[in-house]
Amino acid sequence: MAGKRGGSSKKLLHALDLDGIASTLRNVSLPGKALTWSRFCGALSLVLTVQLFISGAAMCLYYSPAPGTAYDSVDFAMFSLPFGSIVRGIHYYSWNLLLAVLGLHLARAFIIGAYKRPREPVWISGIIILLVIPLFIITGDLLPWDQKGYWSTQVRLSIISSVPVAGDFITRALRGSSMTGIVALTRFYVLHILFLPLLLSCLIAVHFHFLARRGIAPSLKNSNSEVSRVPFLPDMVNRWLFLFLITTVILAAISWYWPAPLGDPADPTDSSYVPKPEWWVLFLNQLVTIFKGPLMIVGSMIIPGGVIIAIIALPWIDRTPDRHPMRRKGVMIVGAIFIMLFFLLSIVGYMEHHGPLH
Amino acid sequence: MISRRAINSMGILAGIVFALSMQTADAHRIVVAARHIAAAPGGLDDPVWGTLPVVPIPVKGRNESANDDETVWTTAAYTDETLYFLFRWKDPTLSVIKQSWYFDGSAWHHLEGNEDRIALLFEITRITNFATRGCAVTCHSPVDLPRERWKLATRTEREKGDLWHWKAARSAPHGHADDAWLTVAGNPTGSYRETGRRKDKGSGGDIKNQTGDKSGPLYMQDPKRPPSAPGFLLLEEAVEIKDYSIFKAGDVIPFRLPRYPSGSRSDVKSVSRHGGGEWLVMLYRKLDTGHDDDTIFNPLKKYNFAIAIFDNSGADHSKATQPLTLEFER
Repeated sequence: MAGKRGGSSKKLLHALDLDGIASTLRNVSLPGKALTWSRFCGALSLVLTVQLFISGAAMCLYYSPAPGTAYDSVDFAMFSLPFGSIVRGIHYYSWNLLLAVLGLHLARAFIIGAYKRPREPVWISGIIILLVIPLFIITGDLLPWDQKGYWSTQVRLSIISSVPVAGDFITRALRGSSMTGIVALTRFYVLHILFLPLLLSCLIAVHFHFLARRGIAPSLKNSNSEVSRVPFLPDMVNRWLFLFLITTVILAAISWYWPAPLGDPADPTDSSYVPKPEWWVLFLNQLVTIFKGPLMIVGSMIIPGGVIIAIIALPWIDRTPDRHPMRRKGVMIVGAIFIMLFFLLSIVGYMEHHGPLH
Repeated sequence: MISRRAINSMGILAGIVFALSMQTADAHRIVVAARHIAAAPGGLDDPVWGTLPVVPIPVKGRNESANDDETVWTTAAYTDETLYFLFRWKDPTLSVIKQSWYFDGSAWHHLEGNEDRIALLFEITRITNFATRGCAVTCHSPVDLPRERWKLATRTEREKGDLWHWKAARSAPHGHADDAWLTVAGNPTGSYRETGRRKDKGSGGDIKNQTGDKSGPLYMQDPKRPPSAPGFLLLEEAVEIKDYSIFKAGDVIPFRLPRYPSGSRSDVKSVSRHGGGEWLVMLYRKLDTGHDDDTIFNPLKKYNFAIAIFDNSGADHSKATQPLTLEFER
């Protein structure tokens, strides 16, 4: 039977002219170290991205991108369709977890000096992927057309419009009219389900391309030792599938018990609503709070932009070939200060908006 | 396949992320959280009420009650099938007269006095801006229309509300709240102004107890049956008065005769008591009645609602809340 099945699949692949690709994939192998726990974040990021694509596609089947019906369509999909709240919950918790996992992935790459020659393109494509994810969140936030999404978007557009030269243009391009209405919702929707997924897919392909060409960063302990290799198909793919299954079950269980939030329907006339910044943006919100008035651009653009440029340029700033963190004390101290400031601003922001200082 | 260390690390990370991502409701909003209970409360004095959180809900007076703010102490619970509310509010005077007939020895007169009430409004389908403005968009006239012409209605046919209206003299005697629903304004019953209030399917409500010339009562308690709600006259227990000579000066007969509800109109049940200068009212209804004129309560969802209380009132002067949120603890 097994032989027959194998024969059938070979025939099918041949008929589809895919036998060459299948054979290539079977010959691809990876260092055994690629499957260790310390590299777990990369695989989990990929799995969560796939979760987001699948759950997002499922939600699209019932979503209506117009202010009068968007909220009701999300409400219907969540509470009237079987497993609707679980699908939206998986989508919601996946992006929250993805941001944190990508943050850890970046931190690990920084600590082991994985950005160094010859892996600069891997580092840069990874940073760009990390910068694209918030665009998904910003565009996705408006789609349910609830109070939180609507007023968070208003705040974000107001911050964007404060950027000199391009701010007004970007705001008008996103909003499409003087008010955040049907044109803005349509544009955010198309960006969220079409342009951004295309961009992210391309970036992931580029990231993997350079990863395959330049190789994964070897271990710090025995970088020159010969490592065992494992086949991409089926070992790596099976692990991804197993991780996908486990993640789906866990996120579904969480979503069943704590459905993704859906606030009150948006009321554009209710200017008394003050949106609370979400956890991932608390540090940025604090920066904007510190630099008020004409200095707002320092918190909203100059500091975040400077940090992003510095992170992208890291392979050229830290040019020593040594990757061990103990022998890169200067870079590590700067990195540690940055991480401490990130957490400090986030904690203060959390206390102000969600905690005892609220 | 995946080391325990990896799973532990990811578990901690996931825990932090999930805790942070679970945003709570708007902090300024009053939330009534219904707690799941295993068995239905036996009544107003069931010990289970003492174990549940009580939410103080301010109600602000309007019109004749403008300077008369009050607090409705609210508790909510639910079983697998039914949602329960217990309301308590101060009201030193029990008002159930509702213009009862009084015989002075020679003629019948209406007594002065009305009844106490509490009303709840939920959304069956979304009512635009009800979540942020509550009754202001339904109970009261829009600013562009005269108040005499339009009352208690939604703007479009797509918007529907579910109204639970407990009346001390007209629905409480048979242990119900009048179950109605809300749609666009019209005048289906020939009332003095347009309203969007519609009765749920089925019978119920009350009838006026008066003769053709409106000079006195038409019905009295059936002498063969003891009243099931002393002090009230239920339509099912009423008989037409054949001999008015049996009445003596000082006799009182209710003017409004509650009719036992049936069908969808009987969905909201009540138990109530007035004592110690306050009302204690329990309202309960199936989470899903199966009727399209009722809100379906899904414990996964949050619901916007509003409350109004009426003190000795037959009109719309009342004390009402801001929009509230009902959520189900799981």
